[in-house]
Amino acid sequence: MPQTITEKILARAGGVDSVRPGQNLPFRPDHMIAYDFPGYTDAMFRQMHEDFGITELAEPERYLVFIDHMLTKGDDKERDIHKVTREWCDFYGITLHEAEGIGHQVAAELGYALPGRFLIHFDGHVSGLGAFGALGWGVRRDLLEAWVSGQLYLDVPASVRFDLTGEFRPGVDNRDLIHAIIGQLGADGCAHQVMEFGGPGAEAMSIDRRQGLCGMAMFTGAVSAIFNPDRAALEYAAGVARGPYEPVASDPDAEYSSRHTFDLSAIEPQVVLPGSARSANTRGVSELDRTAVTKAFIGSCASGRIEDIRDAAQLLDGRKVAAGVELNVVPTSAEIHRQAEQEGLLDVLRGAGANIHTSSCDFCFGYQKPLQPGEKCISTGVLNISGRMGSTASEIYMGSASTVAASAITGWISDPREVTES
Amino acid sequence: MSGYPPPPETIRGRVAWIFGDDFDVDLIIGVENIKYYDADVLRGVTMQAYDPEFVDKVEPGDVIVGGRNFGYGHPHYPPLVALRNLGVSAVIADSFSPGFWRGETYNGMPLITAPGISEHVSRWDPVEVDWRRARVTLPTTGTTLEGTPPSERVTKIIEAGGSLRLLLAEHRR
Repeated sequence: MPQTITEKILARAGGVDSVRPGQNLPFRPDHMIAYDFPGYTDAMFRQMHEDFGITELAEPERYLVFIDHMLTKGDDKERDIHKVTREWCDFYGITLHEAEGIGHQVAAELGYALPGRFLIHFDGHVSGLGAFGALGWGVRRDLLEAWVSGQLYLDVPASVRFDLTGEFRPGVDNRDLIHAIIGQLGADGCAHQVMEFGGPGAEAMSIDRRQGLCGMAMFTGAVSAIFNPDRAALEYAAGVARGPYEPVASDPDAEYSSRHTFDLSAIEPQVVLPGSARSANTRGVSELDRTAVTKAFIGSCASGRIEDIRDAAQLLDGRKVAAGVELNVVPTSAEIHRQAEQEGLLDVLRGAGANIHTSSCDFCFGYQKPLQPGEKCISTGVLNISGRMGSTASEIYMGSASTVAASAITGWISDPREVTES
Repeated sequence: MSGYPPPPETIRGRVAWIFGDDFDVDLIIGVENIKYYDADVLRGVTMQAYDPEFVDKVEPGDVIVGGRNFGYGHPHYPPLVALRNLGVSAVIADSFSPGFWRGETYNGMPLITAPGISEHVSRWDPVEVDWRRARVTLPTTGTTLEGTPPSERVTKIIEAGGSLRLLLAEHRR
């Protein structure tokens, strides 16, 4: 029976020959990931120990914890939270990665997200690991099920196939594509399914772009997103792999619930109005009639990678951030930070008036430099619900790194292609 | 927070409110209040934007109805805790957003996917929900909607009063 890449990965994780959409089975993830956050990891560890009586893990190597939130205040509360996490990880023999960057990126750099692997996290943006031909699934509180039993029950999802043609034009990227998809298919266009990207446009897309694209899958209602591993993904994996892995790919005659073709060269810069990424809030940038901003942010697990920083630096080279605008740039990982420094990109950004910050999740969820009432921010963060980045009386618009950089230059939400021409 | 008494075989109540498509549950208590779990605080902020007297009108067994993609957004848990505290026993929607569905199923809330429900009911209509079969009966009109029954595993979760309780029964050492 022909299978999609998702079905093949789940069949292996489920210990069965094949699976079909709609089946509910227990699956054993290769990695069961969490980031430390009060009320999440501390509660889960306490439940495992006190409620379940688990004092030793059979396979600690399958557990993975990142400290990537709450790293930027340096206060007692922060120290206490991280201390508790370190102690639990030490107790159970769980590998902990601290302050190396955003976990969804670091998991790739450190070779956990390999083609064919199945990874879960309580956070849905783990879907970004689909860039490598791995299946990353955000399962919310069900992570506890996996942590206490080594497996979890899931409904096998159908897949929606996106055949991508062409290449992004300058100033346009994966961020514009995901919002164009939402705009066309709706906020539940892929509900309970996996987005599978393929075709020449997918193969031409860089790994960075694939990560950013897959990481936003939840806003179409999808449970994950994935690329079939091609040479680029396999080469990346070979360079970072920890342990064995079995790349798989969709059979040519695999079944999809629907198929859509997107011509990347026809995608225009997209901006999402404050509130949510639903299609009714999605606009072409040209429709945002000189909306003034006070803050601009490039970072998060859906952006802030080297190509995003290159794009921003290219726009800001020889230009300045507008008076009255604060541009904050957070590389997605320490590794990306180092690379951006080496390439001279961060100097360009600093020279233009941007602030560069240590890699963490803290801007995106309103912990670091929260927005004040009345502020308007243009952001590459993952979410623009009211209060997400600070005050509920501030507003968050979302767009690509290029759109954010262009807007920081002009002081209002701007089409990066127009800034390049000016 | 995690887990409630399991529902009866048939949930009987009224349609306490009907929300539209892509409904963000955080609005039930207002985004300013999404970190609160205290019952009194939640009671004071529940449904204020929709019907300030909602908390006095709703009765145990009542249900909430939603349109397509109910629970869209970045759902937090307190809004449904607030509704459960008031006796709301199930949510019936044309469809559910996956993240919301997963989180509230974990908590043991019966979520009934019944396409068309939002167009078949009016507020305060009596309703009977056979949650195991996802069968929704509206006695006033004699209409019965058949939705997608929960999987065997989800049925067990609801029967147990939430995932945590089921997992404890299965895996406590």
